[in-house]
Amino acid sequence: MPTTALTYPLLAALSAVLLPFIGFLLSAALGKHVRNGAISISAISLSLLAACYAFAQVWNQAPVHIQWHWFTIGEQAFHVGLLLDNIAVLMLVLVCVIALPVHIYSAAYMKGDPGIHRYWTYLSLFCFAMLGLVVADNLLLMYICWELVGFASYLLIGFWFTRDSAVQANKKAFIVNRIGDIGFLIGIGIVYSHLGTLDTGTLISTPETLPAPWLTVAGLAFFLGAMAKSAQFPLHVWLPDAMEGPTSVSSLIHAATMVAAGVFLLARLFPVFNETVLLVIATTGAVTAFVAAYFALTQYDIKKILAFSTISQLGFMMVGIGIGMYPVALFHLVTHAFFKCLLFLCAGAIIHEMQHVKETHALDIDPQDIRNMGGLRKHMPLTFATMLIASLALAGFPFTGGYLSKDALLVHTFEWAALQSGAAKLIPYVLVIVSMLTSFYILRLLANVFFGSLSNPLAKNKTHIHEAPMTMLIPMLFFAGCSLFPLFSVNPLNDGHVWLMQGLTTTVSTLPPLRLLHLVIPLLTTGVTGIVAVIIWHWYVNGKYPLKTNGLLYRLSQHQGYLDVLYNVAIVRPIVRLSHLLLWVDYHVVDGTVNGLAALGRSLAATAAWIDQRLVDGLVRLVGKIAWGLGHIFRRLQTGGVQRYFATLFLVILVILLYHIVVLL
Amino acid sequence: MIPLTHFLVVGACLFAIGLYAVLARRNAILVLVGIELMINAAILNLVAFGRYDKTMYGGQVFALFAIVLAAAAVAVALAIILNVYKFYRSVNPEDIKNLKD
Repeated sequence: MPTTALTYPLLAALSAVLLPFIGFLLSAALGKHVRNGAISISAISLSLLAACYAFAQVWNQAPVHIQWHWFTIGEQAFHVGLLLDNIAVLMLVLVCVIALPVHIYSAAYMKGDPGIHRYWTYLSLFCFAMLGLVVADNLLLMYICWELVGFASYLLIGFWFTRDSAVQANKKAFIVNRIGDIGFLIGIGIVYSHLGTLDTGTLISTPETLPAPWLTVAGLAFFLGAMAKSAQFPLHVWLPDAMEGPTSVSSLIHAATMVAAGVFLLARLFPVFNETVLLVIATTGAVTAFVAAYFALTQYDIKKILAFSTISQLGFMMVGIGIGMYPVALFHLVTHAFFKCLLFLCAGAIIHEMQHVKETHALDIDPQDIRNMGGLRKHMPLTFATMLIASLALAGFPFTGGYLSKDALLVHTFEWAALQSGAAKLIPYVLVIVSMLTSFYILRLLANVFFGSLSNPLAKNKTHIHEAPMTMLIPMLFFAGCSLFPLFSVNPLNDGHVWLMQGLTTTVSTLPPLRLLHLVIPLLTTGVTGIVAVIIWHWYVNGKYPLKTNGLLYRLSQHQGYLDVLYNVAIVRPIVRLSHLLLWVDYHVVDGTVNGLAALGRSLAATAAWIDQRLVDGLVRLVGKIAWGLGHIFRRLQTGGVQRYFATLFLVILVILLYHIVVLL
Repeated sequence: MIPLTHFLVVGACLFAIGLYAVLARRNAILVLVGIELMINAAILNLVAFGRYDKTMYGGQVFALFAIVLAAAAVAVALAIILNVYKFYRSVNPEDIKNLKD
């Protein structure tokens, strides 16, 4: 039952949410004076402390729920509140733990940027929105935060708004996310019309109140929202483009804030999804995981590879949700958050150096192209070490967090598939293939960046390439530590001992375990990673690349399945054409009607003016003219000559007489 | 017996001569003479038509009245002309066009 008494854990959670908001307000108010980000960093640090306290108090305890009256529409009262359960406090801590090092890293990475004050403002807003989302206890508040997350990401992706590509990217991210938001909104509408409340607790405790078809529709609608936010195929197109933002922002988006929101939503509303919806989620996740890994194979932009990697891993999480094991999905979300954030921070450090060398020596190179890099392990050993750890975690190598979560996910998927029939049985095999592809693309990235030799323009200046500053290295080292197994389990090889899973699985009915798989799957993935590593070494480091780079499959991968082209042709261009048509209609028909009416009115007025001037005035003037003319004529009679008067008099009398004579005779 | 028409023709001639004098002469005295002529033409007509009233002599009496009145009018008119002449130093009706001083 919700309380209204503000206990310490609730107070801590509330302050964890509101501190970044205060940071945002302060930064926004101070404007250009905010250069070193002290406000944002201290806000998120305090948030982290508060979140840790809330976590310690709530984890594995009874959920805490506080509710206040928000507003009333008609008879219906709406409430606002915080719901702290295991999922919420886990996400609360995760967001803060990821955000604080990213903030510190940003202080060095964004140093000297002319718009840095905006950067800190947006970053605080972003954190606030995400923290609000995870603790919200009703769908409306979640939706508000959901939109704020989207808006903040829009601002941050387009942070360098003078670059046209950044503007296009943030527009794309925003529009694609709108599609998902509509889904979320439809879901909220369905839930409200049947349940009469937006309270998440009520919804997930009694989802059967909704009629079965509507439950399916609502589930699909919520999933559509999660699809856009968590970049699921085919709505993933915004995420690779979102690389236009600063790398530190990418790391935040990919780790804990933006894309995690979709997975979190599905985990939060998990009881709402029935068999059908879960199957759709699992299928979409598998397709996404495969397609994104496939696209990642041939990319040359270091951040694009990581972006597709994120999409692929999000597909894994979706499968985790879809097979009914949302704790596994959340566990993978957490481990992924650490190693993906680290990957991005490392990539940021490398790009930072490349950019630095490029600017100091005026080289004409793309600082993000892995073909220009090579042999960097000698110049940036610490970056190499941390990135290696993150990559191994991504590939699911033993002794890393990624190993625990990914293998748990794979094993559970196999267990789930054993109960399924038809094509669903293929999903775990797809995931195994995807993990091979994952090993391939991430090791390809490592080989190209850290081994081999630098490309020509860089090789001359390689003495200028050195390690990133300490403020960037410390967050990287921190995440490297978090990517290893001790954070999650004392046993590096068995996911059964993970405290995080133990805390979440209490509410989930576990699948019948297949013991053998716990041995086979890890051996398989590790073995495959080893084989792939040998192949990569042979192909890329020794420079014996055997494949053609113009085959259909290669081009399909490199051009990301031509999806952008397809969207452009199928959706964007018709819409642009439609808007051109509407513009034409507006200009020619609507404006034409208005202008025509105006012209008609003007011509009517002109006619009226002509009538007024010529006819009305003419009549008046004619009267005047007649009087004047008559006066002119009769004036001549008035000469004063007496004899003339007589003559006139005589003539008049004569005329009268003659008239009488003529008439009378 | 002289027929009536002869009297009327003489009267008309007199009237025409008088009218001409009134309209055309440049001397106010002669204009006055023209007026007298026209009056006399009228008196001649009165006398001529008086033959049809042999009991009352209306025409003769009317003629006498008219002669007296004409004489009085001439006296007044001559006085006016004299004053006009004093004022304008002219008796030409063409020069006398202003009613004000």
